This record gives sequence, C-alpha cells and structure tokens, in this order.
Amino acid sequence: MRSEDLIQRLASNLRPVRPALHPALATAAWLAVAAAVIGLAVLVSGPRHDLSERLTGGFDLPQIVTASVTGVLAAFAAFELALPERSARWALLPLPAAAAWLATMGWGCLQDLARLGPDGLHIGMSVPCLVFIAGLGVPLTVAMLWLARHAAWLRAGPVAALGGLSAAALASVGLSFIHYLDAAAMVLAWHGLSVLVVTSIAALLGPRLMRRARPVG
Amino acid sequence: MGAFLVTLGDVGKAAATADRDARDLRWSQMMAAAQAGDTRAYEVLLRECLPLLRAVCRARLRDANEAEDAVQDTLLTIHRARDSYNAARPFRPWLVAIAERRALDRVRARGRRVRREMPVDAAGEIASGEPGAEAGLDARRAAANLRQAIGDLPPAQRAALGLTKIEELTLVEASQRSGMSVGALKVATHRALHALRRRFGTEE
Repeated sequence: MRSEDLIQRLASNLRPVRPALHPALATAAWLAVAAAVIGLAVLVSGPRHDLSERLTGGFDLPQIVTASVTGVLAAFAAFELALPERSARWALLPLPAAAAWLATMGWGCLQDLARLGPDGLHIGMSVPCLVFIAGLGVPLTVAMLWLARHAAWLRAGPVAALGGLSAAALASVGLSFIHYLDAAAMVLAWHGLSVLVVTSIAALLGPRLMRRARPVG
Repeated sequence: MGAFLVTLGDVGKAAATADRDARDLRWSQMMAAAQAGDTRAYEVLLRECLPLLRAVCRARLRDANEAEDAVQDTLLTIHRARDSYNAARPFRPWLVAIAERRALDRVRARGRRVRREMPVDAAGEIASGEPGAEAGLDARRAAANLRQAIGDLPPAQRAALGLTKIEELTLVEASQRSGMSVGALKVATHRALHALRRRFGTEE
C-alpha cells in the first residue's frame, strides 16, 4: 500500500479523542484515586493502635515518607514517559527515592540488630502483607495504566513498570498504617517482595492490557 | 557596518524562527482539530508531514522500501497514539520522536535478520571438507529460497503471512497491528500459503 493511501484510510476512520492530560495533572488525578482507595482500605482494616507512637520514633516515619515520594515520582515519571517526545531518562526519576526507601529499611535492620542481636533480623512469614499490597497494587496499576493508555503503542513496558512501582509503593504506605510488623527486616523483606511482585506483573502484563484496551481507530 | 550586518543576521534568524513557529503552530492546530474529529484537517496534516517523516526514516534506513515501511509504521502509531499529543506543546518534536522510534524498530529488526543470513565464508566451510558443512549450506540455501519467495508475494499477503505465521500473532493482534480486518487477514494468509506451496511443488 502507498503511504498516501494509508493516510486516506486512516483519515476515513478517524474518531474524536480527548488529548492526554499534562503529566502534573495526570499525577494529581492518579494520587487522588490512589489516596481514596488506599485510605478506604486503611479505614476498613482499622489503623494500628500504636500508630502515633510508631510515627514519632524509629524508622516508620522515614520509611513512609520515602515510600510516598517513590510512589509520587514513579507516577510522574510514568506520565512523562507516556508522551513520545519526552526523554527516556525520566525513567530514572524515582530511583533515588527508591534507594533512600531501601536504605531507611536497611538502617532499621541495623538498629534492630544492635538492640536485639541476631534475633532482630529473623524473617518470619507474613503473607497478608503480600496479599494487601498486591491486592491493592494490581487494581490500582490498572487504573494508572488507564490514565496512561496513550502510551500503549510507544513506551508501554517502562510506563507499565513505573505505574506498578507507584501503585505498590503507595499501597505499602497504606499497609504501614495498619499492619503489625515491628521488625525492620520483616518490613524490608515483605514490603520489598510485594513491591517487586506488583512491578513485575505490571511490566509483564501491562503492555498487553494497554494494547488490548486500544484497538486501531 | 558590522553592527548593521549583525542586526540583519538577527532579523534573518528571527524570521526563520517565526516561520518555523508559524508552521508548527499550524500543524498543532490541525492536530487539535483532528483530535476533535476533523477528517479533512487530519488528512491534510498527515500529507504535509509525509516528507518530514520520510526524511527521518531515510536517515536511519538506507533501503528505500524499508524506509517507506517505517513511514507507514509511523503513520499507524500517530493514528493510534494521537491522544498523546497536547496542543499546548510543539508538534514537530512529538511527530519526529514517533518516527525515530518506528525507524529504529526497523533498524533493529533488520539487524536480527542480517545476523541470520548466510555468512560470506560459507564456501570456506565446504572446502574444509567438514562433515555436515554441505548439508548446512543446503539448509541455508533453502531458507534463502523461501525468503525470496516470501519477498515476491504481493505486499498484503506478505504482511499477513509475516504477522500470523512468522511473528505468530493471533488474528486479532495481527489485525490491530496491520489495520487489516480479520477476514482479510485470513484470506491473504491462505493465499500466501497456497502460492508458496505451488511454488515449491508441494501442491498439485
């Protein structure tokens, strides 16, 4: 087919579309949705009774702050990457915050080690952690990919991975308000694993989902 | 005099920028109209952009046919991702970024294909008398014949065969990728296979 004929064919089945939101606006919309869903989940589960005590000392507050910043920056980076002309380097935006997040948890592990000895690093099973983060993170990722659906045919993989990271990081913040884990090693292992799982699922299945939701036309 | 020339140069530069901005602004407005469903603006816009798209793709792909394929990939992507453009931003960087990406996809696919082609020193292998060298060469020759036969198919049949049998996409995916209907894909694939069988004498 000649390119001129292709143009004619594309024009003949043109349907109106709504232009994508500016990345900052899209991020704001996404944060509103995520905050509402996660906030509701926290209210339904009931915040932990010693929340205010936990937030004033220890590693909980820095952990929550760095996870939130990771979630926000990953979302902004995803919406930037979803625009074709933006630099691929936007993908690096959330990495310093993610590193700081891991560092706060690692630092918490060292403090536990100093306080409790080797027992402080014992890692038990905490499957509900994974269920909470994945259970909220996966549907939220779908919402995020819907907001970034215009990237389906361009940089779907990186956009989906960043969307998954954002959803999982924010879900992990919600979990920090309710769960019963005290040991930093447990938080590092289970939050870390859950975020990795959600991000991987998003990277693997996200692009296919985005394309399926966007047929030609 | 010097100062006058500098001023003249500045005027020239400013005029060039203003000119480019005017065109970009016009394209931007046409794209906004296309997003709202104006088919006429859309068709004119894509036709006006075609030389630019060709220039971008030809800079990456020396083969004219391959460059034109990349141009068509670009047009399809522009169509599918037309909501990723916002009229508040310049139009050309958006357009060129998409063309660059589709041209690089073709460059990469070409690199993979070239690595599978027959190496020039295959004759040396035969001369070495290594067992199996000749059989290996026969297999490569058969593959080259098949590639040639596929290359001789009409474009629609070649595209259908490539998507459904070589890339092994489902009919729905192939339809999304090519813009052909599922029915047209089925017919084209069937005809392509029929033509190949006839050519290689496996069908009466």
